[in-house]
Amino acid sequence: MVRSRAVRSMLVAGCVLALAACNGGSGSGEPLSAPTSNVTISVVLASNPPSKAALDAFTKETGITVKWTNVDWDSLQTKITAAVAAKTYFADATNVDWSRVGQLGKLNAFYPMEQLMDTAAMAADVPQLTSFTAGGHVVGIPYDASFSVTTINKNIYDKAGVAVPTTMDEYTQGLKAIKANGAVQYPLNIPFAAAEGLSTYWYQTTGAFGGTVLDDKYKPTFTDPGSPGYKAAQWMVDAVKQGLVPPGNINVSDTQGQQTLMAKGEVASTFSDYSGMIGSLYDDPASSSVVQQVRYLRTPGAAGPGPNNSNPDGVGVPRTAKYPKAAAIFIKWFTSAENQADWAGINGVDKAIKGYPLPSHVSAVEQLASKGQLIGGKELAEMLKTSSRPIFPGGAPSWYPEFSRTVYTSLHSAAAGEMTVDAAIKAIADTANRLSAGG
Amino acid sequence: MAQTHDTRPSSDRRPAPGKPAPSAAVRRRGPDLLPYALVAPLAVFIVGLAIVPAIYALTQAFFRVQVLDPPTRFNGVDNFTALADNAALVKSMVNTAAYVGIGVTLSTVIGIAMAMAVQRKFAGRSLVIAAMILPWALPGVVEGIVWLGIWDANVGLFNSALTTVGLVDQYQVFLGANRWLTILLIEIVQVWQIAPLSALLVLASLQNIPGELYEAAALDGCTAWSRFRRITLPLVRPGVAVAMVQALILTLNIFDQPYVLNGAAETGASLTMQTYFISFQNLDFGQGYALSLVITVATLVASFAVVKLVYRRVEY
Repeated sequence: MVRSRAVRSMLVAGCVLALAACNGGSGSGEPLSAPTSNVTISVVLASNPPSKAALDAFTKETGITVKWTNVDWDSLQTKITAAVAAKTYFADATNVDWSRVGQLGKLNAFYPMEQLMDTAAMAADVPQLTSFTAGGHVVGIPYDASFSVTTINKNIYDKAGVAVPTTMDEYTQGLKAIKANGAVQYPLNIPFAAAEGLSTYWYQTTGAFGGTVLDDKYKPTFTDPGSPGYKAAQWMVDAVKQGLVPPGNINVSDTQGQQTLMAKGEVASTFSDYSGMIGSLYDDPASSSVVQQVRYLRTPGAAGPGPNNSNPDGVGVPRTAKYPKAAAIFIKWFTSAENQADWAGINGVDKAIKGYPLPSHVSAVEQLASKGQLIGGKELAEMLKTSSRPIFPGGAPSWYPEFSRTVYTSLHSAAAGEMTVDAAIKAIADTANRLSAGG
Repeated sequence: MAQTHDTRPSSDRRPAPGKPAPSAAVRRRGPDLLPYALVAPLAVFIVGLAIVPAIYALTQAFFRVQVLDPPTRFNGVDNFTALADNAALVKSMVNTAAYVGIGVTLSTVIGIAMAMAVQRKFAGRSLVIAAMILPWALPGVVEGIVWLGIWDANVGLFNSALTTVGLVDQYQVFLGANRWLTILLIEIVQVWQIAPLSALLVLASLQNIPGELYEAAALDGCTAWSRFRRITLPLVRPGVAVAMVQALILTLNIFDQPYVLNGAAETGASLTMQTYFISFQNLDFGQGYALSLVITVATLVASFAVVKLVYRRVEY
């Protein structure tokens, strides 16, 4: 009898487990009517969390407890994609990278943020908000203001007697002079590894030559040898052939180049570096041997300062979120100007987020700059306000990941000598044409 | 456990004198469900997480499953023909074949050598074996990062060693510049990881070979090489076959090492990397399923071939 009861109990438990496993949904009811206090929300980002004190204060103020998970960026994108494809709950607030905006927007995978908070009011102070708009909807709110910017090692430039350049011609001649002078053997860092950083570098160099890579209909604009995109690709590959770039850079990623070349004084300049790198790496004595030697430079353009392409990370609310309104309250708090200044260390390291790059609010950047707590802050604030622009004026297309993969594999092959620049450009253009035609 | 069965005719099955007759309920007791109940959770687990997804992937390979462009619909073998037209994929197939060829050969040869080296007892043997299997315990990504520091063309240890001993006068580019060199160097990293497991599998077979065979061979005047060729190799074949199959599976599914060491570059991209790109970047899950099916079938066929060619039943 006892045995028979045990068997029945096990079978019932098995059925319950099986049913629980089958119930992959996010719960019953209308998510937008879910409570906004006394709830725990899951936040999954590729970032360290704010301090415990800050999160506790947020909980005390709102009744929302935050369960923070820090996942590396690449894994996070795969997890988000899997969750979106399966339409299952993943998090209440998670990463929306600028490059995924078109894809996530088309999939209608995230709540339009303008329905959950007043995005119009923040537009003036957050210029990169346009990079997060797809189909007229704001897919995510930028929580940092990463943008491409040129960095130079002023000591090496001074040692070689080269003036700070303002145009691409001056920049190129300067690099050649530094090499000839022998200040460094290879003056320019271009990360030619087949990874996203190479695509970003090409977009920024294309901007410097006065153009964009795709038009507003997402058709390629770089097939003509006289076009900015073509010139940019040719300039990058020529830099390798002319010995301006270390030969080993064929397999160096953007972060590797920053850490092992720029931060070690092995190169004189990175044309398309990232905003905030001086404060977070080059001036950090623990990981840099060029402290106080590196400067931000207005992008040397075709005939004067060029644009700075935005590549920020944002945070949004997935459609499968259990507590979307509570998540929106958190996002508003997390991305507010005053808190971003805290995350960047304006009120000391206790409140700062380790590795936080640069606030997305211009006012927060200006605050940091005025208090002298942001290296190169004045220049960065100016660039963020005036020259920072989205890489794709109409937002990243939904097929961006496939396009970008063709960009970086083709440019990598061209730099490695496996194909000509012309063939690389043709491969990229063919992919863009096929994808923009819906193929 | 040995079981005994009562073979007497039912009419003879009477209780022993002095013992009560069994009740009707006991006599009519049905099959014992307890073993099934105990196995049920594991069965549900395997069916739910392995069999069902496998069947789902198998069927979806014949459907157009594009998340960005719904709805899902049957499209026959279109996914497979699209894969055949994908030039990057064809290149990855060749790369993967090279990974398999190099990886299975090297890991088997090195595995046998390592197993032979630790076959006899010596002081510190346990420590040596523990140290030997360390690379196998490390995640592929970690190994990729470690070896990146070795192969790196700007600051790599290998370049530093070569220049120190004067073999080259300036740092050389190893990864990314030449396709076949890139594949060889990436596969060396994977062999570093999988050879220890091969060694352990071969070692297990080596331990089973009776010492008398070697003693008899020595008395007959066999050389060490002859003993290895005529005794060790034939008798260790079951272990070698298992080692080769595990190496085959791992090399055919190589992902971490080429991705970390060479990025997405076509010089080293593998088939599983293409599955990832197609599924999670292009969001074309139909083609992703189809490619996964191709890889699975290739793994099964190649594993079967290895077993047929290498495995021999051994009895002592």
